[in-house]
Amino acid sequence: MLYREAGQFKSTYAEDQQIFPIRQDRIGIALLLLLAFVVVPLVGDQYWLSAIVTPFLILSLAALGLNILTGYAGQLSLGTAAFMAVGAFMAYNAVLRIPGVPIIGAFAIGGLCAAAVGLVFGLPSLRIKGFYLAVATLACQFFVLWAINRIGWFSNHSSSGVITAQTISILGYGIVSPAQKYLLTLGIVAVMALAAKNLMRSETGRAFMAVRDMDVAASVIGIPMMRTKLLAFAISSFYCGVAGALYAYTYLGTVEPEAFTLDLSFRVLFMIIIGGIGSVLGSFLGAAFITVFPIFLNRGSEWLASALGVEFSHAAVSNIELIIFGGLIIFFLIVEPFGLARLWQIAKEKLRLWPFPH
Amino acid sequence: MDLAFFIEVLVGGLLAGVMYSLVALGFVLIYKASGVFNFAQGTMVFFAALTYVSLVERGWNAWLALLVTLAVMVALGVATERVVLRPLVNQPQITLFMATIGLTFVLEGLSQLIWGSQPHGLELGIADVPMEWLSQRWNVNVSQFDLFAAFVAGVLVAGLAVFFQKTRIGRALRAVADDHQAALAVGIPLQHIWAIVWAVAGFVALVAGLMWGVRNGVQFALTFVALKALPVLLIGGFESIPGAILGGLIIGATEKLAEVYVGPMVGGGIESWFAYVVALLFLLVRPEGLFGEKHIDRV
Amino acid sequence: MSDALLEVRNVSLAFGGVRALSEVSFDVRRREVRAIIGPNGAGKSSMLNVLNGVYHPQQGTIRFENLEFRGMDPHRAARLGIARTFQNIALFKGMTVLDNIMTGRNLRMRCNFLQQALWLGPARREELEHRRAVEEIIDFLEIQHVRKTPVGRLPYGLQKRVELGRALAAEPKVLLLDEPMAGMNLEEKQDMCRFVLDVNDQFGTTLVLIEHDMGVVMDISDRVVVLDYGRKIADGSPQEVRNDQKVIDAYLGVTH
Repeated sequence: MLYREAGQFKSTYAEDQQIFPIRQDRIGIALLLLLAFVVVPLVGDQYWLSAIVTPFLILSLAALGLNILTGYAGQLSLGTAAFMAVGAFMAYNAVLRIPGVPIIGAFAIGGLCAAAVGLVFGLPSLRIKGFYLAVATLACQFFVLWAINRIGWFSNHSSSGVITAQTISILGYGIVSPAQKYLLTLGIVAVMALAAKNLMRSETGRAFMAVRDMDVAASVIGIPMMRTKLLAFAISSFYCGVAGALYAYTYLGTVEPEAFTLDLSFRVLFMIIIGGIGSVLGSFLGAAFITVFPIFLNRGSEWLASALGVEFSHAAVSNIELIIFGGLIIFFLIVEPFGLARLWQIAKEKLRLWPFPH
Repeated sequence: MDLAFFIEVLVGGLLAGVMYSLVALGFVLIYKASGVFNFAQGTMVFFAALTYVSLVERGWNAWLALLVTLAVMVALGVATERVVLRPLVNQPQITLFMATIGLTFVLEGLSQLIWGSQPHGLELGIADVPMEWLSQRWNVNVSQFDLFAAFVAGVLVAGLAVFFQKTRIGRALRAVADDHQAALAVGIPLQHIWAIVWAVAGFVALVAGLMWGVRNGVQFALTFVALKALPVLLIGGFESIPGAILGGLIIGATEKLAEVYVGPMVGGGIESWFAYVVALLFLLVRPEGLFGEKHIDRV
Repeated sequence: MSDALLEVRNVSLAFGGVRALSEVSFDVRRREVRAIIGPNGAGKSSMLNVLNGVYHPQQGTIRFENLEFRGMDPHRAARLGIARTFQNIALFKGMTVLDNIMTGRNLRMRCNFLQQALWLGPARREELEHRRAVEEIIDFLEIQHVRKTPVGRLPYGLQKRVELGRALAAEPKVLLLDEPMAGMNLEEKQDMCRFVLDVNDQFGTTLVLIEHDMGVVMDISDRVVVLDYGRKIADGSPQEVRNDQKVIDAYLGVTH
């Protein structure tokens, strides 16, 4: 009843080409943005903002980066955390060594350095495919982490490799409170998400998907294999690099190389599996799920423990978390391999018909 | 350069490589038969070792514990095939791969939930000391245990070779590895075969787990050993048993040599990535590994 | 001679010990519909693959317009204006019909990824302009009703049509069709024939097609090349070829 397209005719291709062609969707996204930019910072609890919402946004950005490479371009990568690490450490060095550099510029430098690393480690993709490529990206993951640890320049020769993000300000306004950090993150993520969506529905996105679906046919119809694959690696790494910089500056504050282990790479991979491969929305949904899920699990086990009158040891809880997490991944893959994004689409389809059954 | 020392390092590396091969064998078995890249292999190794050691520590007889652990691994394999793989049977490889990552988490949590997370030592009766005969005659220190592990690996590979070439089930496994549809068409029960393969892989995981358990102790870090087996697979090819052995030898040797001779020059710690970079360079020359099947894209 | 858009000169192709093509020579005139026929295994698909650079012959050359080559990069062939469809459909199963055909326009897209990301004026205009061109092809092939459907969900006949659309989107000079009617029922074949002839008529595209259905070949082709065991055994109008004893023998399996 509410979600009807009746009466919404598109008379130009431009109208058909919009990101949100249905009016109700446009209203919905406008409300969401209003909520995010205006309501949340005013109303949001400090802890909730700094410990849940901001990391959710940052990880969404990283998931988006990985989705561009693995979901759209079909190049399986397990090196996401390494690219984030490059972004974080290079942004830090930019602020440290370039006097007066604006923070957005520093983030961009972090992203560009990550993109350069992505280009280098993306070169094997021209010869290697599938799982072989995934294992090759592990080389990137381990090597980059080792390099950042060993080469003192990255951490300004701090003894343990730990860096502390400097306080940042934009145009004189300090970015210190959780709400301010949240807004900065939100702004950057929103802009980059829009850019990603634009990119994926243009020729670049189509070239990526063509390479993913059948690269031999793609090259036969004229799509340049090398350029396309390397571009995918570069753009994806840029996104992950910026996410890494945000990770350091608006979330953790103090960063060590160990924050960017293989574990994090897998977490981001799960976000796009559960959220939806090849979908911008899916990256956000997946990140939300993975961020919020441990909290639910904790609350759930606490409730269960008190209901049963027993105490679960911390170790037991985290082990059960692992089991349920792994089980959920398998469950999702069986039930809906296209993830939450597809479930959302199906829900919208049903909503279009509501209250009629079909 | 001290020749005796070099040989010691080389042989040590080769034997370490054999240990990697043991883990890689499990991967190859499953990939060969079902096209699934089983990321959970490392955790299976850990789970097997942990089960055995925990039973022994509770006073069980070693042989009984071994048998029971073997039964558990076989059951695990069958259960995995039924619960995880069968529902996903027509999905692309990457989906199955990600399912095995999920399986990894389940096994990790399960093993620690059941047996706890303290590290355990493991004894198999063969001490990890240099063979006196070698160290006295040629001044080369080679661990007795390493040699024993190499021997076990050799027996295992020979056993598997016989199994695949001479037995009916082995033949069926090779048929399934080649072409699922064709195997079905001649009446080979695909799902039974997959269950058998996973069970055998579980057995291999147990052997690998015992070997590694003695060498490194049975602790959670054992799961990362599987990660080291991956470069072995890259070099040897995902579908080749001899490739797994050869790849293991290459990786083991080059890694040890690099660690000793190159490491000190760059601040050490290069074992974390050296094997991968070697494999990567190797792949650039041979994209399917030494014995991997060449992938021909027909349009 | 000057009429020939494409010339195959003494091409020989072998895979290991198997000779796929032996000293094949023929030409294709501008705007004509040239059919390549022959029993199974005659080397027809290999010939097409040589024409657009997927296979490189060991001997012989191809002359296309003013360019003579033996081994060409398929990417370059696409840029020169040689497009093709495939025997086993080579569509991008994860994308919609519209997107698949749009990929056929990729060689004409000039904007770089930054412009696309920011959706600036030039990128927008270019996308819409190519969308318009692709919609015309969609109209022409009568697949408007499925333009937003993922290609993997379409029936075989429609998929073949989409693949034709993708090849047309490149506005090629020569279109190589590998068994465009394979697996179709009578109705679908009639539709496909209509499209193929319209392409030749309206757009002036030169067509080289492999086809097994003799009725189709006789009806729509201007000239026919017959291959058998990698050798050319006949070359001429459909009538001439149909009555050629060598051709009849080849199809009936009579050994020479």
